[in-house]
Amino acid sequence: MFDLNTKILIVDDMMTMRKLVTKSCKEIGFKDFIEAADGALAWEALNNATPPVGIIISDWNMPNCSGIDLLKRVRGDARYKKLPFLLVTAEAEKHQVLEAVGAGVSEYVIKPFTKESLEAKLQSAHKKFSTG
Amino acid sequence: MAKVDTAFIKPFVDGTKETLKTLCNYTAVPGKPFLKKGNPPIDIDIAGVIGLTSSAFSGSITISFPEKVFLKIMSKMLGEEYTQITKEIEDGAAELMNIIFGHAKRVLNTNGYQIEKAIPTIARGKSLQLISLTKAEIVILPFEIEAGAFYIEVAIDETKK
Repeated sequence: MFDLNTKILIVDDMMTMRKLVTKSCKEIGFKDFIEAADGALAWEALNNATPPVGIIISDWNMPNCSGIDLLKRVRGDARYKKLPFLLVTAEAEKHQVLEAVGAGVSEYVIKPFTKESLEAKLQSAHKKFSTG
Repeated sequence: MAKVDTAFIKPFVDGTKETLKTLCNYTAVPGKPFLKKGNPPIDIDIAGVIGLTSSAFSGSITISFPEKVFLKIMSKMLGEEYTQITKEIEDGAAELMNIIFGHAKRVLNTNGYQIEKAIPTIARGKSLQLISLTKAEIVILPFEIEAGAFYIEVAIDETKK
């Protein structure tokens, strides 16, 4: 599993979802969070974070810059090629999953999720991160 | 194709039950669906609305809550006690609708409905009345949870060509 001191960037245009993801991550044991309300703000936060962000958990469906656009931007930058990136969405149709996998997503979290299911996805993302 | 029949409604009912169970550990008991006529069946204070679009029809899905029920749901979901609807939690109505819609869209699109992605919005106010501009009939899906009653409105306009 990830070091529980890892800084997590939580991206969602809905404040309640940011609170819900933060709550679940706190229950898992993480302590360090920053938030952004869309992909553009997340990109700025990612580049300015100290200590650096170690995990991104982002919603897919957001105005301005969506989660998939953020993922593509992150993977297009050599510094973040292997940064664990979890996409959260209520819509998990096959073409979307394939698009996310093609763009380099680490894991795909389907809403509604429990603390346990999020933890399992984080563990899986960590395994990929460690062996990749 | 887009008729508001059992096949169309069931994914929304299932999505509501699953969402409330997973996020709040509430068992949502669905009541018998009925057609909306005039005033809403219960006083509502907050609603999450999502537009439905596909090549064959348009419409909307709305989840509506009395303040007391919404506050109980948010308190359970976020693990904090809320006594009034604030900016901090008001988008929870839209998010719940979004999650339920996501579940239903997945099922309905597997059955050929081709519903497109949409971004939800909220409506808030004391004893809120939502007036749909659609000419279609509106079906009310009532639910009961431990905290009280709420409902979902399904409005489909099949005249779109």
